[in-house]
Amino acid sequence: MNLNTQFVFENKTKRLLLGGMALGLVCLSFIFLNDDEYHTRFWTNWLHNSVFFTGIAFMSMFFLSAQITAFAGWNSVVKRVWEAMSQFMWVGIILMGVLVIGVWGHFHHLYHWNTPGITDPTNPAYDKIIAGKASFLNPIWYTVGTVGFLAIWYFWAKNLRKASVDQDSMETEGGYTYHKKQRKWAASFLPLGGFLSTVFLWQSLMSVDPHWYSTMFAWYSMVSMWLGAISLTVILIIYLKSLGYLEYVTFNHLHDVGKFLFGISVFWAYLWFDQFMLIWYANNGEETIYFNHRMTFYPVLFWGNLLLNFVTPFLILMRNDTKRKFGTMFFVACIVFFGHWWDYFYMIKPGARIASHEAKELAEGKQHGAKKHAAVVEEAEEAPTSEEVAATPTTEAVSHEVGHTAGHEAPVTTSKDTATTSEHSAPNAVNNESSVAAEHTATEVHGKGHEVAAAEHAVDEATAFKVGYTIPGLDDIGVMIGFLSLFLFFFFQQLSRASLVPMRDPYLEESLHHDTGALIEGEGGESHH
Amino acid sequence: MAAHSNKVLFGLYNDEEDLKSAVKAAHAAHLDIMDVYTPFPVHGLDPILGLKESRLHYLGFIYGATGALFAFLAMSWIFTRDWPIMFGGKPYWSVPAFIPITFEMTVLFAAWGMTITFYTICGLWPGVKAQTLDDRITDDKFCVAFDVTSASESDVDSIKGFFTQTNAAEVNVKTL
Repeated sequence: MNLNTQFVFENKTKRLLLGGMALGLVCLSFIFLNDDEYHTRFWTNWLHNSVFFTGIAFMSMFFLSAQITAFAGWNSVVKRVWEAMSQFMWVGIILMGVLVIGVWGHFHHLYHWNTPGITDPTNPAYDKIIAGKASFLNPIWYTVGTVGFLAIWYFWAKNLRKASVDQDSMETEGGYTYHKKQRKWAASFLPLGGFLSTVFLWQSLMSVDPHWYSTMFAWYSMVSMWLGAISLTVILIIYLKSLGYLEYVTFNHLHDVGKFLFGISVFWAYLWFDQFMLIWYANNGEETIYFNHRMTFYPVLFWGNLLLNFVTPFLILMRNDTKRKFGTMFFVACIVFFGHWWDYFYMIKPGARIASHEAKELAEGKQHGAKKHAAVVEEAEEAPTSEEVAATPTTEAVSHEVGHTAGHEAPVTTSKDTATTSEHSAPNAVNNESSVAAEHTATEVHGKGHEVAAAEHAVDEATAFKVGYTIPGLDDIGVMIGFLSLFLFFFFQQLSRASLVPMRDPYLEESLHHDTGALIEGEGGESHH
Repeated sequence: MAAHSNKVLFGLYNDEEDLKSAVKAAHAAHLDIMDVYTPFPVHGLDPILGLKESRLHYLGFIYGATGALFAFLAMSWIFTRDWPIMFGGKPYWSVPAFIPITFEMTVLFAAWGMTITFYTICGLWPGVKAQTLDDRITDDKFCVAFDVTSASESDVDSIKGFFTQTNAAEVNVKTL
């Protein structure tokens, strides 16, 4: 048995992947040239794919670390795949670095918190909520939270891989020096990756909707990355096997990866629903607007997400035998991989579209004069805020009505509504606090007139059906293929630098004889002869 | 099984690999194994024994689906027809609020249903007397058992010969 197999990155594959990257570049340029003045589609595509593929690299590292720490033995023959995948974080630093430069230089408007003057009450751009979060949502934190943390993770990933590769050339068999080293890097990575990834995701993704917050978000998007990593692992294992590599990886190993694919998909659905239900139940206007907007204007994205990432893997992988068939697993992995790319699309696009729309409104000077605005803000503190209104469960009809006012057009019309309220309540400033109920009615009545005009306006610009926002266009998929090719190019290069089997891994024997013990009709005999 | 007085001839092995090769040898010699007892699940034993995949999980699916339907329909009926209550201004038929309970009832029905079915099939009820061939089977011995109630003298001899050939540590007879 020759364990020392080296992966050869053939020129044919290299050319194919370079072609994929070229396709991505063409699509990205095409998007850039047919874009709005902030190049929102271009930048969202960049953010989307950078975070997604960097996240896959990060979760490969996290997953591998969790397994090493948990004394997993089945995975030795697959380990090198994850090790190679995790090295992509190095490229991720550059990809995210482009966004960081964009934040500092104001080249994009993905993040509304980055608008100049947003924390200054005398500036027309002033936003009270964002000003309150400015100690976290600022370029310095953004740099630390994305590029900085990635650099730390990459340092760990590099060292873990080094300890693993060095183990191959160890003189004596059965020594534990390098294994212990790996355990140290892996165990210390778990808290580091776990805690820092939440900040990474808040900064890079959740702050696209800076008014919105969800305590489930980091969990949810991290698990989405994880599934991206697991499904890509399945695809790569099956691809490598089709080339004749990884001959020691049997359907028993595939079964275990399949169980992760199934189980984590269910976990993802749990988090997806949890995030939705907590917000739906609490009925906090600031939070529900996020879902209201997406369910109303992006139904394909919203429900497609659930179909691709939960219904399909759940129903197909429920049975034991489907997790042991290479064809079925490849099919499901492709769907789940695309599904989580879709999930990130859903997380980023609607929010970034609003952000660029807000920037446009500001640039067109829709708000007249800093002085008046300051007065409005002061008044708004007294007047009932949209959350308070939405949280008052008077009747279903009222809460729906208010939800509508505060919900759909809030990103566009918040300032107008507040202005209306303040104009009409200014003479009664003294009575303001005592007549909260009357104020509700006032907000509603005056809200309505503006609402109609504002709604039409908003539908036109920030919510109308548009390929690239409402659904992914072919060019968006082309960009994804470009980034995927970049990822794979780097992956194969890393993979070819070490043996495909960690020959001196103490768990290797266990892994080579791995048997899940599952009994599948008609298959049992052949696995044991 | 709780049949009346079965005479069982069984051999004890010290290692699961010995057990596996013994079972293979028994098949080759066309000996009819009654059952095999091990202290832990031995991977790869089922196909050698020629066991088929359990059908218990089909029932599990049916139980789970019953639980899901029951929970969802019951809540729908209660909160829209029987006793409508409004929670926090939400509609009476609030599907998202029903999902956690539907999930819990699915798990509950599937778990209880499968447990009760499994125990019924195995004849395990409260108060049933444990019928172990040897106490060490639950600790460190691996057992292959043959039913010799109606076996001829020569059959018993050939089974004993089989145990000797396959290095059984002990051979005993017990009437259950």
